[in-house]
Amino acid sequence: MSEVILEVKDLATEFDTEQGVARALDDISFEVKAGETLGIVGESGCGKSVTALSILRLLPKPAGNIVSGEVIFKGQDLIRLPADDMHNIRGNRIAMIFQEPMTALNPVYRISRQLNETLALHNPEMNKAEINEASINMLKRVGIPAPERRMKEYPHQLSGGMRQRVMIAIALLCKPEILIADEPTTALDVTIQAQILQLLKDLQKETGMAIIFITHDLGVIAELCDRVVVMYGGRIIEQADILTLFDKPRHPYTRGLLNAIPRLDKSSKEVLSTIPGMVPSLFDFLPGCRFQNRCDYVQEQCTQDIPVLESDSDGHQVRCFRFRELLS
Amino acid sequence: MTQYFIRRLLLIVPTFIGITILVFVITRFVPGGPIERMIAEAQQASMQTGGMSQSVGSSIGAATLDEDQIRQLEEYYGFDKPVLVSYWDWLVKVVHLDLGESTRYSDPVWDTIKDRLPVSAFYGIMTMFITYFISIPLGYMKAVRHNSHFDHASSIVVFVGYAIPSYVVGIILLVVFASNLEWFPMGGFYGDEFEDMDSKLEQVADIFYHAALPLLAYVAGSFAVMTFMMKNSLMDNLAADYVRTAIAKGMPFKQAITRHAMRNSLIPIATHFGNNISVIIGGSFLIEKIFNINGLGLLGYESIVERDYPIVLGVLVISAILQLFGNILSDICVAAVDPRVQFR
Repeated sequence: MSEVILEVKDLATEFDTEQGVARALDDISFEVKAGETLGIVGESGCGKSVTALSILRLLPKPAGNIVSGEVIFKGQDLIRLPADDMHNIRGNRIAMIFQEPMTALNPVYRISRQLNETLALHNPEMNKAEINEASINMLKRVGIPAPERRMKEYPHQLSGGMRQRVMIAIALLCKPEILIADEPTTALDVTIQAQILQLLKDLQKETGMAIIFITHDLGVIAELCDRVVVMYGGRIIEQADILTLFDKPRHPYTRGLLNAIPRLDKSSKEVLSTIPGMVPSLFDFLPGCRFQNRCDYVQEQCTQDIPVLESDSDGHQVRCFRFRELLS
Repeated sequence: MTQYFIRRLLLIVPTFIGITILVFVITRFVPGGPIERMIAEAQQASMQTGGMSQSVGSSIGAATLDEDQIRQLEEYYGFDKPVLVSYWDWLVKVVHLDLGESTRYSDPVWDTIKDRLPVSAFYGIMTMFITYFISIPLGYMKAVRHNSHFDHASSIVVFVGYAIPSYVVGIILLVVFASNLEWFPMGGFYGDEFEDMDSKLEQVADIFYHAALPLLAYVAGSFAVMTFMMKNSLMDNLAADYVRTAIAKGMPFKQAITRHAMRNSLIPIATHFGNNISVIIGGSFLIEKIFNINGLGLLGYESIVERDYPIVLGVLVISAILQLFGNILSDICVAAVDPRVQFR
């Protein structure tokens, strides 16, 4: 097994809002090994993006605060790292790409500047010509045709897919050890999605970086990831390697999600199964299990105690009181 | 882009004709024109000399100026021709850079305006500089420290400045600092000894000594809008995705503001810039009146009161042209700061 390069331990994040304090993340723990792809999946508002932002300490200030926990990156706790050291890690050793390529680039600067800037920040010894050269090469690697010409263009002159490629190029310029991809394909149409996913796979093979891939799309997870973390209501409810999760899902929520995927091999007359109800808002979580109000197997205990994340011998973790009986 | 601006420049011509024709026609229909003034003056003169002995109730108007004289005057002012014909005559003269003569002073209009323009322009340009110089950094600090004590305290000052009309600010300043405390002069563009001063430096100092209070009044009115525009637009941009991208690249927060958010925040300020030009150079007649500054605003106001139409139209020509060019300048500024803007 390759070494663990990022370890998130008991992470909890809160948001101060006008309606009070919302606990967006609670008791989040997972590991990322060098070179692997970890998927984080869940519905909107389950805390996937907040997890990503918390790792890089990019939470919107002053509302978002990490209240406890550690994020250990190669022996350093990122949560307690001085701001200056954090600047050296962001974009250099851990990079991030975002959901909306349309707005993630600065509209008033040329592509060249937005690429070169990243290299200049982390490689003060490089001169302008070298930086420019490296940026052009990176654009080439992410599959942008005529990169020299694109360098001189502005973001609005590129298509969504091209912009996401530029974002990926920016993220990969400094050869990061971890790339956090926060729904990078959600805003793109399906063919472009497939291209971007393939690109990420290829680049990962070349560079050996680890990827934390955040999405709500289980199809994308199946295609790309080695291991999966399933989140619900700010907690991890199941974690397993990809085959185990799709073959033997344990948590009722994960099962529901997998059942809700439309399949070509089923009759079109069949009603698509859904999970009834909605994700509870961050302000009215019930005590106990957060999935209780939508769960078919809810019992007395679920409404009182918080289930712990139980792990079996091959690392399949699940947070449910009844998963053993449900298995049989 | 060039084509667009050429088209815009050509459009100035019909717009200019529209504006001037409107005002020209109005001058014809508003009562109390120069001839009526002369009649009234002649009346007063005759009243004072022979009025005492004359019997009350005689037809005074006809007695002072006879038909012939009035016709002569009408011919002199061009009132004998139809409106459009005399407008055409006036326009032809304007195209030849001849704005006519003042009916009040009999000086060429252009000379009168030429004397006043630098005064108003000085105040306008200084106001603009000070406004931008205060508003942009202040808006920046308020955005970065949103909801802090500093933000709230400065908001009070800004809103008070915004709520009180600038002429009231002017009067308060005049009463407190010029009249009561006697720290500053009561008005004027420069002091009586200006011509006798030895060095240029002394003269400049004297101008600024006289300008302090009016400038404050000008600035008080204009910096509120600009400050809040700057603050709001910077706050919008601070929350923008690309600022988060910049920080995710490893850029310190401060740098992300100055290098990324600021540039985008200046776009609305740039839009505003050209529109300000005409107001700036035209000056505010109220402030000019309060501080007794012989600027363009005061000139325009006085000539309207005195029905000195050539001057009214002259001032209009200057301010219309400034406004029209200002609009184009706005567009150029916007295109310069925002690459997404493309004029076709």
